[in-house]
Amino acid sequence: MLKHHFPLLLVLALVMLALLLPFLLPWSYHEIDWDAVRAPAFSGSHIFGTDEIGRDRLARLAAGTRVTLMVAIAAALVSLIVGIAWGATAGWIGGRVDEAMMRIVDGLYALPFMFIVILLMVVFGRSILLVFVGIGLVEWLTMARVVRGQVMALKQRPFILAAEAAGTPATTILLRHILPNIAGVALAYLMLTVPQVVMVESFLSFLGLGVQEPLTSLGILVKEGADDMDMTPLGLALPGILLVVILVCLTVEGERLRDRFS
Amino acid sequence: MSLYEIRNMAVTIAENRLVEDVSLIVEAGHCTAIIGASGSGKSLTCLSPFGLTPGAASGTMILDGIDLGRASSAQIRDIRRRVAGFIFQQPLTALTPHLTVGAQLQEATMQAGAARPSRRELARKLERVGLSRANERLDQFPHRLSGGERQRVMIAAAIAHDPKLLVADEPTSALDASLRGEIMVLLDELRAEKGLGLLLVSHDLASVEGHADQLVVMDRGEVVECGPASQVIASPEEDYTRRLVAATPRLQEPAPALSRPGATLLETRGLGVAFDRPGWRRGKIRALADASFMVRQSESVAIVGGSGSGKSTLGRAIAGIGPVTEGEILWQGIGLPERRKRSLDMRKLIQPVFQDPVASLDPHWQVRDIVAEPLRNLRPDLAECERIAMARQALSDVDLAEDFLTRLPASLSGGQAQRVAIARAIIASPQLLVLDEATSALDPLVGAEILALLVRLQGENGLSLLFITHDIAAARRLCHRVLVMEEGLIVEAGRMQEVIDHPRHPATQKLIAAS
Repeated sequence: MLKHHFPLLLVLALVMLALLLPFLLPWSYHEIDWDAVRAPAFSGSHIFGTDEIGRDRLARLAAGTRVTLMVAIAAALVSLIVGIAWGATAGWIGGRVDEAMMRIVDGLYALPFMFIVILLMVVFGRSILLVFVGIGLVEWLTMARVVRGQVMALKQRPFILAAEAAGTPATTILLRHILPNIAGVALAYLMLTVPQVVMVESFLSFLGLGVQEPLTSLGILVKEGADDMDMTPLGLALPGILLVVILVCLTVEGERLRDRFS
Repeated sequence: MSLYEIRNMAVTIAENRLVEDVSLIVEAGHCTAIIGASGSGKSLTCLSPFGLTPGAASGTMILDGIDLGRASSAQIRDIRRRVAGFIFQQPLTALTPHLTVGAQLQEATMQAGAARPSRRELARKLERVGLSRANERLDQFPHRLSGGERQRVMIAAAIAHDPKLLVADEPTSALDASLRGEIMVLLDELRAEKGLGLLLVSHDLASVEGHADQLVVMDRGEVVECGPASQVIASPEEDYTRRLVAATPRLQEPAPALSRPGATLLETRGLGVAFDRPGWRRGKIRALADASFMVRQSESVAIVGGSGSGKSTLGRAIAGIGPVTEGEILWQGIGLPERRKRSLDMRKLIQPVFQDPVASLDPHWQVRDIVAEPLRNLRPDLAECERIAMARQALSDVDLAEDFLTRLPASLSGGQAQRVAIARAIIASPQLLVLDEATSALDPLVGAEILALLVRLQGENGLSLLFITHDIAAARRLCHRVLVMEEGLIVEAGRMQEVIDHPRHPATQKLIAAS
């Protein structure tokens, strides 16, 4: 386990750290230490120093990781549920209904996603909910396509026909025969969706369209660090490295899962 | 000296010895056939010496004076190019999809260093393997050809460079029964004409009978018996060969004792099925038209035909798992509607069994749940423990031990999985089983056991059977009557023995000639 799933374990360790740090540190992510603005690393109780207005950098890193992963997991779950529901329905009913539903998916794919998110932000203002909606809007499309393909292939399998001949109602066939058999593939794509959402969220935050201050995310931290990098390179390096590590680890694990199920 | 001789060959893959101590001889102009069940090492035996499997062959393998066991990989490549030709089971995957037939054939001809063939020469090669309109075919891509045509192109390509030895790995297994005979006859002709040695691999004794000169019977990586084909088949010495010969259905064997049919159960009148064309396009594809027949109590009716003849469509319509677009299905005079409109009481009457036993069991379910699934819907009056007791009984009816209850489908062999599928079909005491190629995917020994099981179940419970197959000899073992189908129509119907003795329709004659 340790040898084969090192990336997954590393991410889990980082998540644990992000969850536990608020209880261990004397500073919270929004508290300002007036005595130690722009403190260097290892000065007093600030392990990685403080930012330009005196907030503890480690506490902000932990908070940023929490928000980023929370958004990512929530959006991935939303995409999983919507994608499975949409894809399974299209694949199961088939025919014209399937054609129509999949053309809607194609249409949504074609929309300039960034443009729509920016419009939403401008019209409704910045909120974490809108980040969800914006990301969820795109991420379920791939899932729906994958699930539809799987369901269409399964539908022709003799054990589904045997269940029909045995008088099993359609909903039971969907829930008990089809869903368990696509769970593996869906899980693999879920694992691949999480890093994608992390990326999108960071990008939105970097553009200033993400979560609202003083709440933070890895993308916001990278942006702040980039603004200030000639003074304190640590401010850019820390969130940057963390982001890359999480992305790489999750992608590696996701691809591995996908290879196992396909 | 023989053309090709193997002495004491072994094949190992990753330290595992999968084939041991095989010796055989192929003479020029003769055919040596290797017969064995799946996993017996027959394909490894014929392909490993040429470096076409992941296995390493050791021993003495002399082809045309060259010892393949000591040859370098470059030499073996050279032998593949000049001396040997290969035919594989799947004609579609063995042809490159993006090259035209002509281009493939040209490549095959030039592989041994011959000059670029003219178009007329290529067309002649296609004509030689019995393809009509050869000139036109040269410009076609493989997907435009039928399975039999593709296999002919494969053969043309395999002999294009005038090899001395032709290695054919299950050349007819993926083809229709009526095509099998034609391909085997073609191989015989080529053999006689060009003095070609043929090393043939098959799981089906019946398909090589009358074509092979020498027979090598393999089981679990070892040669069980070998000798002249007619002698091995007529008087097998080893027990395994004897069982194999007995398990292979033949039209000449004595007529089996069958149960006496009772009153009419099922009747169809003018049954027809048409499918919508895929996508938004308008139009229908007719898969079945005007099918009228009946099945009586404890009677077995065979539906025989090639692939695409509509026999599975008919079976599915009757079992209530496929569409019906015209005509009616009557059960003792009462109409049965299509698919989901069928009530649970109607479902209880007819149950299907499918060709691929592993695919017909949900890989995530335990055998217990699979077998009890019909009871959950059809017998809601039973308690869970009664259902399990009935599942246990059904398993013992199909000769499976009780410990199979908790197994998962992945741990079952093909024959065991098919028994589980039959147990599921009979658990709610149906009166008619629709068996769609239920023995075709199984090894001959296992298939014969399943046939015997079905005959026994019919005798015990008075079950009626609708046995859909391409193999009329297998159907003869348990069926009273036969329907022959071609292109969606029933072209001949009658008592089994009468149809076999006096086939009237060309499709029937073809099927019988192929058995």
